[in-house]
Amino acid sequence: MSENKKFRSKSGKERVTRIIIYIFLTALCLIWLIPFIYLVFQAFRGESRAMVTYIFPKEWSFDNFIFLSTKTPFWHWYLNTFIIALFNAVLQSVIVLCVAYALSRMRFKGRKFLMNLMLVLGMFPGFLSMIATYFILKLFGLTSENSVPGLILIYAASSGMGYYIAKGFFDTIPKSLDEAARIDGASRARVFFRIIMPMAKPIIIYTIMMAFIAPWGDFMYASLITFGHEEAYNVAVGLYKWLDKEHISNYFTVFCAGGLLVSIPITGLFMALQKYYVEGVTGGAVKG
Amino acid sequence: MAEVKLRNVKKQYDNGFVAVHDFNLEIKDKEFIVLVGPSGCGKSTTLRMIAGLEDISGGEISIGENVVNDMEPKDRDIAMVFQNYALYPHMSVYENIAFGLRLRRVPNDEVHKKVCEAAEILGITELLGRKPKQLSGGQRQRVAIGRAIVRVPKVFLMDEPLSNLDAKLRNQMRAEIILLREKIQTTFIYVTHDQTEAMTLGDRIVIMKDGYVMQVGTPQELFNHPANLFVAGFIGTPQMNFFDCELKKEADNYYAYIGSAKVALPVYISEALKKRGNVPAKAVLGVRPENLILCADGTPNSVSAEIKVTEMMGSELHIHASCELGKDVILRVQIADMSDEEQTELIKRKKFAFTLRERTVNVFDPEDGRNLAVENAVAVPKKQEAPDDSEKSRDNKKNRKNKK
Repeated sequence: MSENKKFRSKSGKERVTRIIIYIFLTALCLIWLIPFIYLVFQAFRGESRAMVTYIFPKEWSFDNFIFLSTKTPFWHWYLNTFIIALFNAVLQSVIVLCVAYALSRMRFKGRKFLMNLMLVLGMFPGFLSMIATYFILKLFGLTSENSVPGLILIYAASSGMGYYIAKGFFDTIPKSLDEAARIDGASRARVFFRIIMPMAKPIIIYTIMMAFIAPWGDFMYASLITFGHEEAYNVAVGLYKWLDKEHISNYFTVFCAGGLLVSIPITGLFMALQKYYVEGVTGGAVKG
Repeated sequence: MAEVKLRNVKKQYDNGFVAVHDFNLEIKDKEFIVLVGPSGCGKSTTLRMIAGLEDISGGEISIGENVVNDMEPKDRDIAMVFQNYALYPHMSVYENIAFGLRLRRVPNDEVHKKVCEAAEILGITELLGRKPKQLSGGQRQRVAIGRAIVRVPKVFLMDEPLSNLDAKLRNQMRAEIILLREKIQTTFIYVTHDQTEAMTLGDRIVIMKDGYVMQVGTPQELFNHPANLFVAGFIGTPQMNFFDCELKKEADNYYAYIGSAKVALPVYISEALKKRGNVPAKAVLGVRPENLILCADGTPNSVSAEIKVTEMMGSELHIHASCELGKDVILRVQIADMSDEEQTELIKRKKFAFTLRERTVNVFDPEDGRNLAVENAVAVPKKQEAPDDSEKSRDNKKNRKNKK
């Protein structure tokens, strides 16, 4: 009998450890979720629009959403952001995938240097270049009320630096596939589109997703480039305005409602493509 | 169908490492050429230069009438089979085979006809609808070959196509390649590190070492008259035996002395030595294991040896022994004619004596390893430093990882 015990999968002691671990993780999970739950509750609170000290609303209503839609330019900002996100999803994906493929497959002078340079540049915080970027965009007339194309340009311009993950994925695709296709009669471009792209679905989806999500959360550049021109705001800048001292007592629950609406496309996209996301991120590591 | 000519072809990598030195070869139309050599000898690099996958640092490669140095692989009208098959995983077998034709804008019905023909030749018709993932190694290799033959290329390149297969399948596919070669009459260039493949497949074999061509010749030439010590040791299993010997001229003929044993050299070697101005006094005598003949102790001109290990191969016995001069030798004795008792007696023996089949010996220069009787033999190159971080080795590592 005692012999047998050794082979049992879980001893009592192990079980206790497990329970402790689960309690800890559950607590962690709750802490993690509280801000979001809070946001949801506030968004549906009907009694006042000010910030309050309790979590559960006394009165449930859709007033905040109605107010948001009728009395504020929220949907305009939403549209701005959506347009930026859409363009960014396309431009950034194309650029990232091309850069990653080129760095993975082609051997040219300065390749190592370029990769190191991008790595080092990526270590500097983005706001270091903010002032310069602002003046350059201003020269083109892409600031203030024309900020939407300006922002698209900014996001797309720096997107090549995020090539690491895609390159890691391409590195796992044997080079002989490219070579076989080239001998079969394909040009470099054709190899890329006909052979590599169909195999790189997870990483394409991952790249598109990242590119689509990023503009929704960008505050720094958007607030600088729009420079107080409300019509060109994205959701982050617009919503944040309502947390000012003068606005917060009238707009806090509206802010929460806006936040909730912003989270919908991102969450939806994420849920739909989650499977590929995991595959794309870990693809380089565990494939094969 | 075309001739392939390589003139002074050289490959030097950016880090200065020279992978191929001054490679010269004329491949005739419809010839089957095998490039063989140990790993890192430059055989794959040479093939890849012919394919256009690797830049040519010097010299000239022409296929048919055209110099192809700066031509894209797709314009060279070649086909290639890769070691790891390199099938497009997202396409069906049919599409894999048809891909090259589609890129060349061949009309649909013709594509269909050609794909079916190729599949027929290789016996993979029932696999056409499957994805590469669902195929076994041998089937994948067949698809890869199908993809290459469907275009009827001028030159057919194969880069170690069988080395990913297990031994049994390899033998089977080797036979199929011979058959295939009879069906599609075209120029073949085949790279392998396996000398059996080289010997059985090639019309001519090119042996390489450290980026140099050691010898070009038919399997028979290479086997019977290796141009230098490297070729002699590389071709044939078990390896050729080498003895230090002294060359002496007696009555207009040359003889080799291994210790006290006297070996009359074949007439053609004797003649060749006579033609040479300076015949070295000392040389290396090479004899293949099957050309050492067991004999009774005390036979004139025999060498005695002590047996270290015997390997029973079934129809033949490999005897590893140490001979009286302190050299290790290997004998390959046919035992099919012997009775069980005789075989057992032989296996249990401690000592024996052997003579050399004089007709088959080769004599090499001890300094540079050249065969003294082969004209224009190439010296065995001195060791060159290997590249620590070449593209090729990195890719191989990657491929291996993928296979897991």
